[in-house]
Amino acid sequence: MPLKTVARMEIQRLEILAPDGTVDKALMPKVSDELLLKMYRLMFQIRRFDERAVKLQRSGRLGTYPMITGQEASQCVPPLALKPTDWVVPTYRGGGVYFARGMQMRYALLYWAGDDRGTHFPDGSNDMIFSIPVGTHLTQAAGLAWGEKLKKTKGVALTYCGDGTSSKGDLHEALTFAGQFKLPAIYLIENNHWAISVPRERQSASETLAQKAWGYGVAGLQVDGNDALAVYKAVTDAVARARAGEGPTLLECETYRVSHHTTADDATRYRSDKEVESWKKRDPIARMKKFLTARKLWDEKKEKALAEATEAWIDGEVEAYESFPPPNPLDMLANNYEHAPRALIEQRAELEELLKFKGGATILTELPPAEGRFP
Amino acid sequence: MTPAAAAPAKTRTRNLVQAVNEALDLALGADPRVMILGEDVGRNGGVFRATDGLWKKYGDARVVDTPLAEIGIMGCAIGLAVDGLRPVAEIQFDGFLPSVLDQVVCHLGRLRSRTRGRMSVPLVLRAPHGGLIHAPEHHSESPEAYFCHTPGIKVVIPSTPYDAKGLLLAAIADPDPVVFFEPKRLYRAAVGEVPEASYTVPIGKARVVKEGTDLTILTWGAMTETCAKAVERLEAEDKASVELLDLRTLTPLDLDAVLASVAKTGRCVIAHEAPNTGSWAAELSALIAERGLLRLLAPVQRVGGWDARMPLFRLEQYYIPDADRVTLAARRALSF
Repeated sequence: MPLKTVARMEIQRLEILAPDGTVDKALMPKVSDELLLKMYRLMFQIRRFDERAVKLQRSGRLGTYPMITGQEASQCVPPLALKPTDWVVPTYRGGGVYFARGMQMRYALLYWAGDDRGTHFPDGSNDMIFSIPVGTHLTQAAGLAWGEKLKKTKGVALTYCGDGTSSKGDLHEALTFAGQFKLPAIYLIENNHWAISVPRERQSASETLAQKAWGYGVAGLQVDGNDALAVYKAVTDAVARARAGEGPTLLECETYRVSHHTTADDATRYRSDKEVESWKKRDPIARMKKFLTARKLWDEKKEKALAEATEAWIDGEVEAYESFPPPNPLDMLANNYEHAPRALIEQRAELEELLKFKGGATILTELPPAEGRFP
Repeated sequence: MTPAAAAPAKTRTRNLVQAVNEALDLALGADPRVMILGEDVGRNGGVFRATDGLWKKYGDARVVDTPLAEIGIMGCAIGLAVDGLRPVAEIQFDGFLPSVLDQVVCHLGRLRSRTRGRMSVPLVLRAPHGGLIHAPEHHSESPEAYFCHTPGIKVVIPSTPYDAKGLLLAAIADPDPVVFFEPKRLYRAAVGEVPEASYTVPIGKARVVKEGTDLTILTWGAMTETCAKAVERLEAEDKASVELLDLRTLTPLDLDAVLASVAKTGRCVIAHEAPNTGSWAAELSALIAERGLLRLLAPVQRVGGWDARMPLFRLEQYYIPDADRVTLAARRALSF
């Protein structure tokens, strides 16, 4: 018997806004001027915030911080295609994601300063706390999407991961479930080309990461991840499919990690400045500015006003972050259970004794009240 | 087990991570079957620089930057070891170890037994251990009990550069799988004289850091330094003579050393970073109760993390026992 072709794969790539600011009119999604400006403002603000966070870390006022510089379009834009009641399941490199979801960034600073009070997402929106272990959240996102489907809410779950994470079995299992049960889920791979020091080419012999969708009966698309308009269209279309009961989508947003892995990393050890510079020419914010300027929606006066407002906003967030009183050590024993077991109750008493031993009789009254439920 | 060789004379001052690096370098140089695999271990030399320079020296086939997939690293290391290589796999942080437990519990520890001894898995799984370096969430964990609980594997954790180099060389030479924890807050803080040449420190032998007669402190990893501070204080302020044991190997345990010390002093504190419940300290405490109860003059005191998850780093100093907590526990034992 001759060999027969029983299936064929094809992966498309979506680009709308070119680095020179011109757009493909045929592909241009319907987006209000107001929303276009919002995309730009979010990306602009989070870049400045990122820069400030690095400065804070370098001067000892913040712990290890994961930068998102260069990835603003794929981070900030997808949440704009969602409702607050849709689930967003971000990763540790998600500053732009949770900023776009409305998180007060004083809390992000608090978190990266090693303070558990920093995991404070806004009330009324369905945001999963970001995952630090890589990829373990991907199946959870399938579960969240599944729940929405079972509850018939028309809600969707959007989750993120990197090109590195795409190597993990978690993605295989997540897409298997999402495809099998036709879940309203959007899997967004931010291919930023570097998993710490390991380049994208080393992660997989697969030509694209988008084609990983194909093996699971999931729709897959490669997107210029530095093109806010393409990201918006891709996510909007995926959300519409999900809400219509047509199942999950995997989007590979190709972008670039312009900075180090985190402030604890030194990317000059393993990659060339030339590569970084070439990607800076494809900057998501610069091209959006050119586009808005050509549309007469933006000018240097507005840019200056935004820059000033952004600096003032960041100043306020930093001040609010640094004004938090120190955490009460007893907090770490709260919220571990609905009802604290005996061991924890005893240990809390032991910790109180320890604090008295360290700080004298007044230490417990000087600390802020313990937060959270205990027992 | 490789017998302990007499330590060669020529030494150099090295910190713990440099000692690890030297052991890996010597093992790669001495045995073509040895290879390193893990995330960022190659060109970048490891996030703590444990494998610095080795990729350049031994090439991409022997010092391998893997895709980002811990289960893949662990499973491949098992396959490589069964096929005759001597893989040294690195999992980048302790907090990423739980995902490899499936491979460790279901396969790594069982292959020798399942094959009636026809197969063995002579690999080393290296991972940083413990907290107090102000690291992000999931980067400060002490998961040794999960591994100690698993039959068929050995669990080693050095606290000095000398032991790190000698134990790692012994682990690589060992015919059975060895989980090798490296206390990350000692990577640069622990500095000492390290022989330049190859040598081994035997797996399964505790180290008496300091002899004493009134109280035994059992510990491992970076807590050895914490306990040494508590010992100084107890000797100065309480005029107590304290014996400090660094276990170095958790499984197989040096039970003779533990029981001999406790029999001598009659009082015992066990200090470690993990939560007490179900911990390796719990096992030690049980063994002492089973085998040495009549020699005890006071209940065994365990000092560990709380039965709560490891907090973010602003509170880690209150989670991981410090010299104050070890001192207080010692005083409870001494005054019983």
